[in-house]
Amino acid sequence: MKNIFRKFLPVQIVGFAILIALSWTAFAQQPAPATASQGEINQQLLDRIAELEKEVKQLRQATNQSSIQTPTPPAPAPAPLPEPVAIVEITQANVVADRLKLNFFGDTGYQIGHFYGPANTFEFGEFDMFATARLSEHVSALGEILFTSSTDNSVGVDVERLLLKYRADDYFAASIGRIHTDIGYYNTAFHRGDYFQTTIGRPVMYEFDDQGGFLPLQDLGVVLEGKVPSGKLGLNYVFEVTNGRAYGINAEPAQNSTDGNNSKAVNLNMSAKPEWVPGLAVGFSVRHDYLSDVNNLRVSETIPVFYAVYNSAKYEWLNEAMVVRHARPVGPVYHTTAFYTQFSRRFGAYRPYFRYSYVNAPENDPIYGDPTEIQEVGRVNGPTVGMRYDFNDHAAFKLQYDREGTTDTKSINGGSGQFAFTF
Amino acid sequence: MKTIQTILLLMLGILVFGGAIEFATEPVEAATGDPIVVIVNGANPVDDLSMGELKKLFMSDRSKWDTGKAVAPVIVVAGPAERTAFLKIVCGMNDADFSKYFLQAAFTGKSATPPREVPSSQGVKSVVGSSPGAIGFVKAGDFHGDGSEGAIKAVKVDGLTAGDSSYKLKM
Repeated sequence: MKNIFRKFLPVQIVGFAILIALSWTAFAQQPAPATASQGEINQQLLDRIAELEKEVKQLRQATNQSSIQTPTPPAPAPAPLPEPVAIVEITQANVVADRLKLNFFGDTGYQIGHFYGPANTFEFGEFDMFATARLSEHVSALGEILFTSSTDNSVGVDVERLLLKYRADDYFAASIGRIHTDIGYYNTAFHRGDYFQTTIGRPVMYEFDDQGGFLPLQDLGVVLEGKVPSGKLGLNYVFEVTNGRAYGINAEPAQNSTDGNNSKAVNLNMSAKPEWVPGLAVGFSVRHDYLSDVNNLRVSETIPVFYAVYNSAKYEWLNEAMVVRHARPVGPVYHTTAFYTQFSRRFGAYRPYFRYSYVNAPENDPIYGDPTEIQEVGRVNGPTVGMRYDFNDHAAFKLQYDREGTTDTKSINGGSGQFAFTF
Repeated sequence: MKTIQTILLLMLGILVFGGAIEFATEPVEAATGDPIVVIVNGANPVDDLSMGELKKLFMSDRSKWDTGKAVAPVIVVAGPAERTAFLKIVCGMNDADFSKYFLQAAFTGKSATPPREVPSSQGVKSVVGSSPGAIGFVKAGDFHGDGSEGAIKAVKVDGLTAGDSSYKLKM
């Protein structure tokens, strides 16, 4: 019997020591409770150590006492350690995997009036599938696939954006892929997805180039962007080098895999968001490209845009103006002017808005006046008035009236209602 | 000239019509005046932040502290009065606008990450106390008395402490 105790008691001691070590390890891996101070925690630990040391000492004494005839009762279970404060993570919306976020945008509605076509109609606008993923601390990816209806009732599929981005810090990020060009303000502030923009549809000067617009708003290339160290002035820069836009009958505006020439388009956008006027952004962009097509078209295109926008919780006031300069190697220079102003104010869930758009392109412009290059631009101007109602932060209803005057035809009117949503 | 007059009349109409709707629909909320304390990790050397800096930090417009640590804002989930007041005063937004801002920022390709959300002020303090780059805010009443002062510290806002009468960050 004596030998049995001599044999097992050291094992118990070793086992207990391991238990202590494991307890320490487990404790070290737990976050510190927020309800107790570090001093209190330290005191609790010191007390616990003293208690355990006392128990070990007792066991050692028992081992050394060879006259012990009966087994000692098991040591009392250690007191539970203080529970750490449970921090329940709130799941972020639209996170479908560790690195992937997925959003959908859609809009549908009803249109009346010649502004939209020969007959009143229900309309499917766009269905936009948008995904972002953080691949590492500095690298992220963005993909956007768009389903949109055409005037011939077909539904087209378009890879709207696809880009890989490396972000070193607030002052430098580089992206490559298919982008929306950073011309002016509106094009990169709202992209697709009518839900974000206050109105139904874009200002005339920012209508997408694959839907009749005249500016190169989609392109492929490299983008460098970031902040400029400027204190409270809040300067930002964006610099793009891209393929440029394709022209000609049935040409796809964005040159996805074949560029019509070796020259690349360059675009610089500088903006200031002064800290002392929250919501204000002023800036300009300048883009240059050489345009060419199968008919040996060679036109120098320069697009300067100036903008001043103010966005607050209640007010939105967007103003942009631009001049598109087209010049052949010899001969005259052509200027197309355009501007819009858009104003809205929120009253609870309601946001009435007003916009006036104006575009005027010369009839003999080598690009905008030639129907073999793109749809003729001419003069287009008119007001838009409407009301937006946000049901919640994922769905809105818009009711809008448009009137548009053009160069050679009588002014036309249109009314439309749209449900725009995201999920 | 006629066009300009029409534009101005329409804008005026929008304001008058909208103002009437707002007056009829918006509830009047009484402010209690309890201060909100901005807290950072105890190891963070920053002692004072302007309202503009706070806005940048919580709206993911600034990603690093001067020390090089990544900024990690943490915020209590929607509902508590201190969150509503903080978003309104600092960011000029309500909860819906705040969510929409980050959704739109992602849509525009910006690297904007919304603040980490936790269910209580205790959670905010716990996260801030255990993350060197974290920043959060709690009601003044929740700041003291639970023994967490060593791990977190309060910072001034525009040079003022929560006890100053002209302190702007109040519910």
